[in-house]
Formats: sequence, structure tokens, C-alpha cells
Amino acid sequence: MDLERIDNLPTETIQGFRVRPGKPLPFGVSSVPGGLNFSVYTSAGTSCTLVLYSRSEEKPLAEIKVPDYYRIGDVYSIVVYDLDYEDVEYGFRIDGPFDPEQGHRFNQDNILMDPYARCLSGRDVWGVEPDWSNPYQYRSRIAFDDFDWEGDSPLEINDADLVIYELHVRSFTKSETSDVKFKGTYAGITEKIPYLKSLGVNAVELMPIFEFDEFENSRIHPDTGERLYNYWGYSTVAFFAPKAGFAASGKFGMQVDEFKQLVKELHKAGIEVILDVVFNHTAEGNELGPSISFKGLDNKIYYMLTPEGYYFNFSGTGNTLNCNNPVVRNLVLDCLRYWSAEYHIDGFRFDLASILGRDPWGAPLSNPPLLESLAFDPILSSCKLIAEAWDAGGLYQVGTFPAFGRWSEWNGKYRDTLRRFLKGDEGQVGEMAQRVQGSPDLYQWNGRSPATSINFVTCHDGFTLADLVSYNEKHNEANGEYNRDGGDDNHSWNCGAEGWTEDEWIRSLRLKQSMNAIGILMTSRGTPMLLMGDEFGRSQHGNNNAYCIDSPISWVDWSLLDSNQALFAFTQKIIDFRHKHPCLRVNQFDHPGSKHLPSCSFHGTTPWQVNWSNDSRQLAWLMSCNMDDNQDQLDAVYVATNTAHYATWFDLPGLPQEYCWHLRFNTGDINNPAQDSPSEFQDPGILVGERSIVVFSASLRET
Amino acid sequence: MNVSLESHNNWQVIKVSGQVDSKTVGDLRDFIDNELAQGQPVALELTEVPFMSSAGLRTLLTLQRKTMDMGVDLALVGVAEEIADTMKVTGFYQFFTIYASLDSIPG
Repeated sequence: MDLERIDNLPTETIQGFRVRPGKPLPFGVSSVPGGLNFSVYTSAGTSCTLVLYSRSEEKPLAEIKVPDYYRIGDVYSIVVYDLDYEDVEYGFRIDGPFDPEQGHRFNQDNILMDPYARCLSGRDVWGVEPDWSNPYQYRSRIAFDDFDWEGDSPLEINDADLVIYELHVRSFTKSETSDVKFKGTYAGITEKIPYLKSLGVNAVELMPIFEFDEFENSRIHPDTGERLYNYWGYSTVAFFAPKAGFAASGKFGMQVDEFKQLVKELHKAGIEVILDVVFNHTAEGNELGPSISFKGLDNKIYYMLTPEGYYFNFSGTGNTLNCNNPVVRNLVLDCLRYWSAEYHIDGFRFDLASILGRDPWGAPLSNPPLLESLAFDPILSSCKLIAEAWDAGGLYQVGTFPAFGRWSEWNGKYRDTLRRFLKGDEGQVGEMAQRVQGSPDLYQWNGRSPATSINFVTCHDGFTLADLVSYNEKHNEANGEYNRDGGDDNHSWNCGAEGWTEDEWIRSLRLKQSMNAIGILMTSRGTPMLLMGDEFGRSQHGNNNAYCIDSPISWVDWSLLDSNQALFAFTQKIIDFRHKHPCLRVNQFDHPGSKHLPSCSFHGTTPWQVNWSNDSRQLAWLMSCNMDDNQDQLDAVYVATNTAHYATWFDLPGLPQEYCWHLRFNTGDINNPAQDSPSEFQDPGILVGERSIVVFSASLRET
Repeated sequence: MNVSLESHNNWQVIKVSGQVDSKTVGDLRDFIDNELAQGQPVALELTEVPFMSSAGLRTLLTLQRKTMDMGVDLALVGVAEEIADTMKVTGFYQFFTIYASLDSIPG
């Protein structure tokens, strides 16, 4: 029976528009027969006016003051009929007190963006300077959300089986050398899917794609005259909207479709999509920043404020979102559910996640309700939740982040230990042993598993891998802050010359050190993450904080794929090796191992004996389990690392007699580090070259 | 925007000229609903369409579903390069068979 509902009919006309009282849920805009339902929350606001625009027009089409009896609780909602969904842009004027000491910053003159806006205009094409005189800069639009997924759903790959590839949407293909048609866009990544597949990664982690303004705090470099941007985008304008300037179709407002198409195509290739999300602060800055949305809707609810009404700054960027206020918590939940349900996103990495565990006054909570809600949410139940387990307010929670059995962490200790170990620092062997088995010192006591640890040696923050082995010091002059910005604690070593050199010996050592880093990363338990381009030696010329650079410094130079083919081939092969050896991906600290060997054992130059002393620079590990498809068959991998500046003999550990070792990788021979057709290794041991690693796998003897 | 019905070999050809966007797409949709004959393949002639908005592209998908239900072929003809690019990056392209001109439709 097709019953016509009477609540589909308008009840009155305001400003020439047919309207009726709306429904308060869901927040934002939803479509109802014949019209659009607008719903917005303000607890301290005293009136609400819906401002409607025709696309890109400076003057509003209409301003509809929402009648007071349309309000239920703190929510104003109204249905407006006969709107042109595609053309209409909207915002709100909210009246209320301007009393900063009490936390209120209402201003009727401002037009505010809908915090639930699913699509935004105003920054449609990257780098086009906006008309700053326009009083409404970030304009809420209607998203269709009718994408044809053709049976796609999130991939739900086991955490322990992931190999994550971190990338910046624009940097990845912006360079001329990328050889794609739609450079610097979501579609550009789609064009590079065959490459990602050939590399062997099965997840991409995208640096922020929630709508941000690249012109926020934009400035001109004092010496070079180049424009510096908010390039990385760790400053959200709209939590529900994908960045239009990253879409080739952004000028037509079709970023929603383009981004969904990227996710769908990545899924077809077996690659998950993880979003780097920034909920710790917003683009509204402190009391000097613009009033885009939250400030004018309910400043006191959305931000952590000092008793005097100033903004707490645990994020280091001006303000701190008040994530454990129940209203804000629901917004975060709604947001992630939306991306998961509507965009089929596989996981989220939370920037400065420790902030999400602070109470409204900034004190760390032992049982943060937001983190708990996310961990037990029905829609997010298969989503990866990854914390950057620290914040800029001094909270460092690697190993102690409130995980509720669900959260994994960027393991900053893995990064630092591996870096120190690589350059041959003293006293690293013991800690390195913890790191390669998934950091049980951090995660076993609290019942977590190795895949809790996202292992990495580089990420967007800091040196690229090529720079880690080419620079002792950061070189951030291009950022226009006289090299004062960026971290100094890089644990890097230039191998004998600072920056570019013609010295063949140094260049070879750098290549070898890069292979060593990737080799150890891919033979550690936990979830490995690579930074875009590290597999072929991408450099930022020593810049360890290229957050504002939109130039070849930050863009991936794809010509390096040819010139550094050896590193690429090594990376590709060792990723493949990881996928083929379940013993490297065991996700249990108390795993029983295989019939003949423990799950993970450590060795030195003599099997079963490790020199744990301060000056030791030799460490080997042997990982083992039964093969997934044949429980009688053994899987075993032996890795020996020598970070000393002299070669060292390692005796090989014994295997059951029907098995033998095959040498698979040896970075001592950088021209030929991977054995493509390995055969039985006849010697009882191997001389591991200076600063080199070798990797063996066990195989059944040929009879 | 103008819409007219022509024929080419055994195809019924919907010839569109002018911009297809939210302001005009209703006319195109009405035309499709009212004028299409059953059982005959459909070509949408777009040579004289310089721009197609999101709403326009969505109507193409509606037409694709409709012809699929009718069990007849659908061809798009003379799609401007910029429209084709937008269709490619947003995933619309893969649902269609596209020809440069009516004469290049086989058979």
C-alpha cells in the first residue's frame, strides 16, 4: 500500500518558501519527500536562521528564521520544500550572548557552516586564492550519497596481515613524473593502484582528507617568495566532507563520488583504506581565529576553555575540541559511523589521540567514554582504530593508551629503537629484541597483541627514509621559520656526508641502511607501515617537517623509481616474503610456536646465545609457527643483523633434519640483495657484512 | 536545453543539446519516461552538450538502469572530453558503452 503521509506536506510559507517543522534527528541535512530537513544544535543560542544561497552567490537567496516552536530541546529543525538540491548552499545564523569570559561567542552577523555538512564549497580547486571579502567562506552543500558500490564492503583484513602505506593525496601524484592524468587527486591515486598492488601493500593510510583550508595560516616565505600552505591539512574545517581540492571533479562539486570511487577501486585491488582523522582541534584556532562553525554555534560545549574563557591548547594549534563532552562525543561517533557506513572506510588513525582521553578540564581520564564508545560501537566493530598515543600537552601513552581491547597504536618506541639500532648506537640490542616481537614490554601485560603495535621507521612527521640515512640535522629553511620548526630528536645518521654526495661508498652505505631498515621492519611482528616513496628513496632534502610545502620537495618524484630500482625491488620482495611467512605475522605473545621451535627466539653469533651487553651490535631472531594450510609443515624465518662496522660470523641455528635453510636476503650485497631462486644453504653459518642483515627461511630438503 | 527523438538504423536516438544540470534535468527525465519505445536500443546523443552536472550524470545512471530493465542496449554518443573525464574519476563511466558518433555504433 502506498500511503501518502500527511507529514510530507508543508504547513506554512516563510519568505516565499514552503516549510514545516522538521525532525531533530539526524543532525545536518537529510532528504524527505519533496524537501530537505535541516537540523542544528545549539544549547546557549537564542534563535536560529537558516540562510540559503544559490551556488557561489555572495548574496543569500533567502533567510528563513526558524520559528521558535520548531525547536525541540536544544535543536532547531525545519523542512524546506522545492529546493534545488544541487544548487543550494546553506548556513546558519545563531543569536545568543557574546560573553567570552562565560565561554560564549555568539555573533548574529556570522553565517556558520553546518558541523554535519557532508559536502563543502568555497575551496573547490586546490590553491586558488579565495575571495576573502565573501562573508561566508566554507559553504555547506547537499551530498547525494547514492553511490553505486556494486557489492563492495570493507575488506576486514586481519590487523596482523596488513602492510600499511602512508600517503598524502596531493604529494603522491602531483609531480609531472607521476605519469597519471589526474595529478594530485583522489583519481590520481586510483590510477596508481596497479603500482600499489605490485608493491604488495594491502592498506593505504591517507593523511587528512576531511575538508581543510590550505590557506589557513598561509604565508609567503620571507626569502624565496614562495607561498606556504596548510599543506598537510591537520586542521579540520568539516568533519563529514571530503576535501574538494583533492578531487579532479571538485570544481563540479563531485568530490564525494570521486572519493568513493577511489575506495571502491582500492577494495577491488585488495587494499584497505585508513583515514588519518583529526578530532583533537579544529581550524577555528584560538580567540583570534575565525568563527567558522562551532565557535558561533556553542563555543562552550565544543572547546576546552580555561576558567577565564580562553582556549586550552593541548594540540599545539590553538584550540582543543572538548571530546568527552557527550554532545561532542556523539558528533565524533556520528562522523566515524558515517565514513564507515557511507564510504566503506576500513580504519581510522587518530591524530594526537591522547587528547581524546582528557576530561573537559584537560585531565587524563582512566576510562575515557569517547574511546570506549568507539571501541564498542556496532557500526565500527570491524574498523581498525589506531591511536597516535601522545599529544602536544605532554601526555605520552605508548603502551598505556586506554585500548578497550580494540585500539592499536603508532609505536613511536619501535621507530626510535630501530633508528638507534640501525646506526649502531650502544645498548640497543635488548630493546630491539622487544620491538621485533611486537613489543611485549608495552603490550603483553595489559592483554594486548603484537598487532597492537604499528611498526614504522618513518612517517609523514620527520625524515623520509632516504633523508634518515643522509642527514644528521634537519634542514627546514624552506618552511620559512629559520630552521626552528621540526623535531631535533631524529636518531639519524648521514653515513659520512651531510646531504647529497658523489661518494660512491657513502651512497652504497645509505642504500644498504635503507634496505636494513625495511628488512627489519618487514621481519618484525606487529603491523608494518611504510611512508610513500621510501621504497625508492624519496627525499625531502633534509626537511623533516614539510607541513607547509607544496612543491617538488614534498611531492613524490617518480623518476626515482627507475634510479633506485634496487631498493624498490628489495622492498617489493621482502613484502612478498612477509605475506608468505605466517610466522612473521603471529598475533599472539604466548603463541606455542611450531612442533620443533619456539614461536620467537633470539640468537647471537652463536645460536641460542645472545650478547645482551651494552656494546653488542649483533642480534638474530628466529620466528616459527606451523603453516596455515599444512599444520605438519614448519614455517621458520631466521634474521641476523649486524650493525657493527665490521663483518661478523653467525652460526646458523639448527632445524629438524628434514628441513634446511635457504638464504633469501643479504643486504651485504646491495646489488643483489634478494635471492630469486634460493637453494639449500650448505654452510653451518654465514659471515654477515658490516652494517648488514641476512634473512633465511626454512624449507623441506629436496629428496 | 533541447531534447528530441530521432532514429538511426534500429536505434532510437535521444538528441540533447545544451547544458544538463539540475535546472534542466527534469525535462530530460520526463522525456525519457514518456517518449521511449519498448524493445528498441537507445542512443543518447550528447555531441552538443558542453556540460553535465552531477544531477545530469545521475540521470544517465537512471537511464542505464531503465534500459537494463527494458532489456535493451544503451549507448552514449559524442560525450565531451571534460564530461568523460568527470565520469571516469567519479566512476560513472564504467556503466556505459560510449561511441564517438552515431555512425561508429556497430551493426
